[in-house]
Parts: sequence; structure tokens; C-alpha cells
Amino acid sequence: MEAASIAHAGGHAHDEHHGPPEAHRSSRVEPQLLGMLLFIISEIMVFGGFFTAYFFIRVAQGDPWPAPGTNLPVEVAGMNTAILVSSSFTIHWAEQCIKKNNRFGFKAGMLLTFLLGCSFLFIQINEYANIGFAPQDGAQQTVFFSLTGLHGAHVFIGLLLLLFVTIRAFRGHYSPEEHRGVEVPGIYWHFVDVMWLVVYFTVYIL
Amino acid sequence: MRHRDEDSGVQTLMAARLKQPGFLRGGLGILIGIAFSALLTWVVRSSTGHSTFHHYLSSEAILTVSLIAAPLAFLVGLGGFDYWFYWAAGKKTRPEDHSSHGAYTWKDYFRINTDHKVIGIQYTVNSFFFLLVGGLIAMLMRAQLAQPGSHFVDANTFNGLFSVHASLLIFLFIIPVFAGLGNFVIPLMIGAPDMAFPRLNALSFWLLPIAGLMMLGSFFAPGGAFADGWTAYAPLSDTAPVGQTFFSMAVQFAGASSIMTALNFLVTIITMRAPGMSFFRMPLLVWANFATSLLVVIATPFIAASQFFILLDRGLHFNFFNAAKGGDVLMYQHVFWFYSHPAVYIMMLPGFGIISEVIAVKARKPIFGYRMMAFSLLAIVGLGFTVWAHHMFTSGMAAWIRIPMAITTAIIAVPTGIKIFSWLATLWRGVLHLDTPMLFALGFLTTFTLGGISGVMLAMIPFDIHVSATYFIVAHIHYVLFGGSLMTIFAGVYYWFPKMTGRMFDERLGKWHFWTTFVFFNLTFAPMHILGLEGMPRRVSTYASQFAGLNLFISLASFGLGISTLVFLYNMVTSWRGGPKSVSNPWRALTLEWQVSSPPPVFNFDRLPTVVGGPYEYGVPGAVHGIFAPTPAAAGSGVLREPSR
Repeated sequence: MEAASIAHAGGHAHDEHHGPPEAHRSSRVEPQLLGMLLFIISEIMVFGGFFTAYFFIRVAQGDPWPAPGTNLPVEVAGMNTAILVSSSFTIHWAEQCIKKNNRFGFKAGMLLTFLLGCSFLFIQINEYANIGFAPQDGAQQTVFFSLTGLHGAHVFIGLLLLLFVTIRAFRGHYSPEEHRGVEVPGIYWHFVDVMWLVVYFTVYIL
Repeated sequence: MRHRDEDSGVQTLMAARLKQPGFLRGGLGILIGIAFSALLTWVVRSSTGHSTFHHYLSSEAILTVSLIAAPLAFLVGLGGFDYWFYWAAGKKTRPEDHSSHGAYTWKDYFRINTDHKVIGIQYTVNSFFFLLVGGLIAMLMRAQLAQPGSHFVDANTFNGLFSVHASLLIFLFIIPVFAGLGNFVIPLMIGAPDMAFPRLNALSFWLLPIAGLMMLGSFFAPGGAFADGWTAYAPLSDTAPVGQTFFSMAVQFAGASSIMTALNFLVTIITMRAPGMSFFRMPLLVWANFATSLLVVIATPFIAASQFFILLDRGLHFNFFNAAKGGDVLMYQHVFWFYSHPAVYIMMLPGFGIISEVIAVKARKPIFGYRMMAFSLLAIVGLGFTVWAHHMFTSGMAAWIRIPMAITTAIIAVPTGIKIFSWLATLWRGVLHLDTPMLFALGFLTTFTLGGISGVMLAMIPFDIHVSATYFIVAHIHYVLFGGSLMTIFAGVYYWFPKMTGRMFDERLGKWHFWTTFVFFNLTFAPMHILGLEGMPRRVSTYASQFAGLNLFISLASFGLGISTLVFLYNMVTSWRGGPKSVSNPWRALTLEWQVSSPPPVFNFDRLPTVVGGPYEYGVPGAVHGIFAPTPAAAGSGVLREPSR
């Protein structure tokens, strides 16, 4: 058994006010990483619930999609997809940079990712404003807005995380040894991207 | 002059207390949350214009947004997010100083506390508070039902009563009380100093009282409490009065809490086991919570989604369930039951774990078929996702779906049966210690088996159609949730009471509690089978006079059941305050939580134990589960050996 342990800084350094003994690490997976993966599983299931609504309202009822008289801006959303997907590459680049202690690349990568995410959200909101129908119009419109909106909410949360990481990047935090704080939000961001591909494919293209 | 000094002194003190995390700042948070909600709804409504909304200020809209904003702002005030805000602001990470660990006065139970043992007790006490409230509501219902046509409460209030009763006892009692017992016991059992994410743990507890008060608060909403049962079927829940919003929002908070805890359990169990504690050396309670947490992480998001649909339909006039605009009401039932069927296993599997602990220790025998016990838990997790539509046999869904669902429902009784027979085989030729925890375990075996059998009956489609929405369902659900889950909870609370409080409970009162509970439970719920077969519908405030005799009998028995709970309460309170001090291992158990003092030290273990054998080797000469590792002086005394008889 490996004797690696969860870092409980402080505490155990002095024996009189001793903190807990270091926990034994019984898995090679880091707790933070595992926590994020489990969280993503439950997020996928939230999307699963919304896709169930999609299935019943779009597939099971068999009405034409999009509802007659409405158009989905497939090209604009396609551009937006490209923007979001490219942000997955920039955050990967940022992670590689901090591992090699390339601080400039790290900061540039984080900033770029954050800006790409912002532009995705901006274009999405703009699309909502100009799409010409509203969720109140009918069940199909409801499904369109709720699926893309649920994803938009995830982009927003992801952007908040990216913002925090970017601020810390510019303040000189993280190092080649200690970059878990970049990795874990990075996984979430990749999840948001992959989820968008699923949403884009099912809602716009199919 | 002096006067003014005092004034400003009070003011600075007040200001200082408002900056400190705590209830005062939490109260301020609630006010800010409500003000924010009023502002937000006003801005949105006035910017959207009169064509959409007739009034720029709507009390229902403010109330709906407040139900999200005020609790979150309260939690910010209480200090639940302090560390994360600190992190988000980009400040230097600060080392954990353990200042929020441990409880030294009763006040420490009323703040954000990151100690899993404190959180476990917070969870348990909070859950039992809601058990008492839910039980009182049941008494009110039985008072109404004692005679046909009585007017103890009006019909709408009655609908509110049974809805709140079920919601409280499911979301605020059974599910969290298991999380509470697990919180206290699991890190100790696997030899970990705490849970993997202590701050998340604290936050997930504090979401619960909020959810509970929200459900109770719905009684004061205009139009009364939510009145369409704990299932909140659409489209009724789309158009019900605003009390329904309280339910949907409370479920979101309780659901978030249970997902966070499950995630925490899984990470703790996977990454923080003591050296030598392989998966197949884990006590079955840990296995049970592992399986339950998998269910929670995968299934609970579905009820979140179903309540999002309701909230969006109600608040923003979306059309998920508006059939006139293409919505699909059946979809609600599918999404809801895709969570709520696994949820019955979420409400049962940890209980299975408790029973395995109690029976092995009290029969002084190794658990029969340990691996099969673990595998059957996982089988239930897998099968649990394939049976949801058996709740919908009469819903009008495609008829052929009923057949696979009936088959899987019958199959899922197999792993449950494996567990029952394993426990019976463990008891076989054991040296039975018939004290309170064991009595509850044996009572559980009896009543849960009865509930399981009526469950298999309900899997049969023709029978299910016959008794659908009758008292037979009420009888079945109470046999599995009261006779099943609650019995295991009582067994667990008595079993770990010495560990949690450091004191012994009164054994005589405990036995009284068991026998009154067991007898009155059966007197209350067994006749409901007959009522259901004869066709008395459930969820009604009155009934045909032919059912009067049995109903009066049930009501009287249920009051006896209520009184039996008071025995438990009295026993717990007086024993906690002044019971005899408990030794560290009163049951001579092998699992690790009994090898530390009672109550355990703040950081659980001074030295982490090393696990060298299985957890249930009772009666096996020389069997060892854990060793407190290796200081030469303690080498002999540190070995946890089964005492030879």
C-alpha cells in the first residue's frame, strides 16, 4: 500500500495541538478529481431528465421539429459550437503550460478560454433575443429553451470557475507541482463542451 | 455623553456580530434575499412590459424567487460559503486550522461545523424533529379518519396534511437520518479521520432544516399547503396554489443535500480507507452506504429535473405539462419515478447495512455469505433502475411496458430475499443477545418481509390494477418504510447511542419502546390491507360507512403508536443527559468505531488502525479485524481480538 496522504497542512506539525492523523490514501485517484467526476455524473443525469422531456415531446409525439413557423439558426449555433470547442483546446493548453511552468502561456490560455466562453454565452443570449419564438408558445419551444438554457446555466457556472482560476493565475498562484485547482475546473469545462455537442446535435441538427 | 458612548459601543458590537458568521448574519441574509427577489422580479417584469405581465409587482413572483434567494443568502450569512468565497476572491489558500471541528458546548451544534461526528448528530436530531412533526400530522389525519364524514379538518387541509406528512418523512426523515448515522459511523468504520470534503458536508446538512421548514411553511401560504401528495403529479401541480412552489423548492434543497452527501460518502469510502481495509473487508454498513450513494448520485438529479419542469411551468409559463400546447403529463410520471423508485432503495439499503451490523454482533456469529450480501446490494442498485414504471400500471402508458416492468419487479425481490435468508442463517445457532437493538432488528425482519411480500403481490399487474390507489398501497408502503426503514433506524440509533453520546440508554424503556411500537404498528397498518382489498381509496378525508369499524380501530391503534414514540423520546433525552457512562465497546464488536473511546476523540484516531481481517469474525478464535499500528509498547494490547469465551 502506498503511504501517500491527503495534505492536512498545519495541525500535525506540532504534536501538542495535534490535528487528525494523515488519512491513508486508499486509491490512486485524487479525492478532488473523483468528487468532480461524480458531480459530472449527476449533472449528466440532470441533462438526462431534460432529454427525457425532449424524447417525450419531440420523439414520442412525432410532430415536425422545429415547430411549423419557427426556424433554428443552425449556422450561427454552429459557429458558436466552434467557439466553445476551441475553448476546450485553449484550457488544455493552459494546463500544459502550468505543468511546464510557462506562466505566460498559462495566463494567456486561461484568459483566452474565459473570453471564448463569454462570447459563446453572449451569442447564445443574442440568439434567444432574435429567435422569434418564446418558451411560452408551446411544448417544443419549451424544450428548445430549457435544454439550451440548462446548458447555458452550466456555461455560466463554468465561466465563474474559470474567472476565479484566471484571477488566481494573474496573482501568481499555481505551480508545476500544485495545479489541481486548474485541472478540476478544467474537467468541468470539458464536460460543458461535450454536453453542448450533444445538445447541438440533438436540438439543432437532428 | 456617557449615554452616547454606550450607544456607539452597542452599535459596534452589533456591527461586529453582523460581520461574524452566525444566525444574526443569516437573518440579515434572509432580508437581503427577499429584497433582492423583489428587485429582480420588478426589473424583469417591467422590462418585459405589460403585454406579458399585468402587474410589475406580483407577490407570488417575489415569493417564488425568495424561496431560492433567501435560503441561499441565509447560508451565506451562516458562513456556509465563507471559505469558498475566500478562495474565489483569489486570496492565498489558508491551512486548515480545525477551528470548526468538534463540539464543546451545545451551541457548537448550531453553527457551521465541519466535524463529521457533530454533523452526524446534527443530521440525526434534525431528522427526528421532523419525524415527530410528521408523526403528529399523521395523528391529525387519523383523528379526521376515526369516523366517516367527520369535520375535524376540512378536505383541503386534509390533502395538505397527507402531502406534507409523506414529504417530510421521506425527504426530511428517512433519507437524511441514514445519511446522519452514516456520517457519524462511516469515517470511524473505515479508519478515516473525517469525511473527504468536510465543508461540503457542513453545507449539505444546513440545506435540510431549510427544506423542512419550507415544507411546513407551505401551510401558511395562501391557498394552503401543497395538497397533491408527495408525488406532485402534473398537471395538478402546475395549477395548484402557491404552496406547491414550496414543495418543489424544498425538494430541490433536500435533493441537493443528499447528492452532496452521497458524493462525499463515495469519495470518502473510495479514497480514505485505512491500510488493509480492502473492499471486501469493509463492514456491510459501509457497503450499504456505498451502494446507496451510487443510487443517489445517479437518480436524484431526475427529481431535480422534474421539479425544475414544475417550477418553470408555474413561474414562467413554460409548457412541459400543458397538454393544450403539446405538453406531456405522462412524462412527469416517468421522470419522477425514475428517481422515486430508486429512492425506495435509498430509503432501505442503509437500513440493510445497520441490520447486518446489529445481527452479526448480537448473534456472535460471522455474517452468513458476506460477499453475497455485498453483491446483492449492488444487484439492487442495478435492478433498481429498471422497475420505475410499476408505479404507473394504471397511468395509461403503453400497455406492453407493464410486462417487462412486472418481471424486473419480481426479480428485484431475489437479491432482497438473499439478504433476508443471509440474516436468518446468521441467526441460526447464534448466541442471541435479545437487547433493544437486536429486538428492533428481529422486528424489522418480520415486518419488512411482510412488506416485501405485499410488494411482490403489487408487481402482478392484475392485482395491482385492482388495489391501485387504495389503502392496500398505504399498508404496503408503511410496512416497508415504517416496519422496514424506521425499525432499522431505531435499531441503529440504539446500537450507536453509546458511541454517539458516551452514555447508555435505559434498556428497560428500550424494550418497552420496541414492544409497544411493534404491536401498535401491526395493529395500525395490518387492517389497512383489508380496507384496501375491500376498495377503500387512499388520500380521501372521508369514506363509506362500511369501513367505519376498521378505521376507528386503526385510529385508536395509531394513537398508541404515537405514544410509543414518546417512550423513545423520553429515553433518549434522559439517557443523553444523565444516563450511566458507557464503556468504549459495550457490545464487544470488532468494527473500528468501537475501538476508540465513547464518544470518539475529536480527530477519531490518534494513530490510524491497520486492518488485517474481516469485520464479522465473531466467535472465531483469534480472529483480528484491526490493529492500532505499531508502537512496540502497545503491540500486545492494540490487537483487537475476539475475546475468548
